[in-house]
Amino acid sequence: MRRLYELLEQDTRTAGLTRVAVSTVAVLVVWQLVSMVVTNRLLLVPPAEVAVALVKEVETGAMWTNAVATVTAVTTSFVVSVAIGIAVGLALASSQALSLTAGPVLGALNSVPIIALAPLFISWLGLGFASKFVLVIMVAVFPVVVTTEAGLRATDRQLVEAARSFNATRLQIFTTVTFPYALPFIVSGIRVAWARALVGIVVAEFFGSFAGFGFAILAASQTFDTARVLGYVIMLGAMGLIGSVLFAALERRLAPWRQE
Amino acid sequence: MSTAVRLKIEAIDKVFKRRDKPSIEALRNIDMEVAEGEFVSIVGASGSGKSTLLRIIDGLITPSGGRVLVDGRPVDRPGPDRAVVFQQDSLLPWKTVIDNVAYGLTLARVPKADAHRTAQRFIDVAGLHGFEHHYPHQLSGGMRQRVNVARALAVNPKILLLDEPFAALDAQTREIMQAELLSIWQETRKTVLLITHQIDEAVFLSDRVIVFSARPGTVREEIRVDLPRPRDLHVKRSPEFSGLVDHIWTLIEAEVRAGLRQG
Ligand SMILES: Nc1ncnc2c1ncn2[C@@H]1O[C@H](COP(=O)(O)OP(=O)(O)OP(=O)(O)O)[C@@H](O)[C@H]1O
Ligand SMILES: [Mg+2]
Repeated sequence: MRRLYELLEQDTRTAGLTRVAVSTVAVLVVWQLVSMVVTNRLLLVPPAEVAVALVKEVETGAMWTNAVATVTAVTTSFVVSVAIGIAVGLALASSQALSLTAGPVLGALNSVPIIALAPLFISWLGLGFASKFVLVIMVAVFPVVVTTEAGLRATDRQLVEAARSFNATRLQIFTTVTFPYALPFIVSGIRVAWARALVGIVVAEFFGSFAGFGFAILAASQTFDTARVLGYVIMLGAMGLIGSVLFAALERRLAPWRQE
Repeated sequence: MSTAVRLKIEAIDKVFKRRDKPSIEALRNIDMEVAEGEFVSIVGASGSGKSTLLRIIDGLITPSGGRVLVDGRPVDRPGPDRAVVFQQDSLLPWKTVIDNVAYGLTLARVPKADAHRTAQRFIDVAGLHGFEHHYPHQLSGGMRQRVNVARALAVNPKILLLDEPFAALDAQTREIMQAELLSIWQETRKTVLLITHQIDEAVFLSDRVIVFSARPGTVREEIRVDLPRPRDLHVKRSPEFSGLVDHIWTLIEAEVRAGLRQG
């Protein structure tokens, strides 16, 4: 027990994977126990039944259709959000005037629950890809904008001065000091953006879609098929987890000096 | 020693203008000369404009008046003929030792293989062999400062500008670093301008010590140090050495005390 605890505390890949495994098992155990107490199968189904439902979805091909729909929509919109976010963050960091004028507007937009506008986007842009694309971008772009600007502004004056003393051009200062300094900040923003993008895509699919995890969850819950609902929620959870783990690893890799 | 003037500072003034606050006169009418291959130190109370002068010489900031000449040519921006070692850590934390030492060369677009070859030479000179692929956070403070010195040497400057390079180090490490700096200087014959708070450090290393008055900084006195070279740490126990240190200390003591009272 003690040995396991020590292993979990370490900062290695094995330890990270073990942590994920341990918490997954813990959730499954608690879930199983609770479902033995709560016997109303409309409210809760045990893990095994959810697994059966998932297998069935795979066999009918519905899983594949939904996965393709959600994954393509969310990744394209996410990648575009990151690109836009970095570009806007760069612009804000490089222009004081822009930052002063556009900053408050962006701040306000960031605190508005844009997700609540989902029905509106769908009536404007229809049930297709466009409405999902725009909704995901609207929710995912802000964390990247904010961290990009903050990271670029946080840059170490001393490092910039050292670069200048070696006669660095402005572009060289940017590429060798300012940007590498900001990168871990930006990646932390990207990590948040991925989580938000998943929320965005599910909500968009709730309101207007004929495929995708969000669509499948809504359809299953309308037929009181709780096992299927939970199965798709788990799929979304896995996507969130994979993204979070990957981006956290990237952050550590880009800024190893922050660890010690 | 050759007597060609490598660095000439002519009537430098610097006033920092500040918004909504009185401006600060940091330097007034500074004149000095440093000969080729000479080792000169500047000591003075905190706030007497030493770092400001160093930044002006390096071309990082422009003076309000006067000019800086290197080999008789006025300079107004950083150039390959001068390199600085800053007091604060200024290594790039995401680059390894060898890439940090090669940094100035890379900025000057020296091909990577050549830059690394040169960097390796100065890593060896600085006694960092075996640490090429470490990151700065994996090194001790003394080693990091040696990387800073190696990085400045790697661009092969004529003039090495050192701003309290050993201030953050403990007393023992500092002594060792001083001896190493001396041997590097003897080997490379660079012109060195060193800023320091440590009077004994200035006397131990220098051919001349320039004493600054408190704000605005002016040259208060220049003291020639005629201790024989090469010097080792034993020099510090000699009566001549203590005499020079005492003399310089009395020159700046009153100002340091006044500075303390002002806060
Ligand atoms: N960029 C700046 N803007 C305004 N004032 C400045 C600036 N840089 C330096 N000063 C002021 O100029 C004076 C001299 O500063 P400087 O850093 O050159 O002193 P110093 O002799 O190096 O001090 P220390 O020994 O503490 O390092 C100080 O009063 C400082 O506050
Ligand atoms: Mg200073």
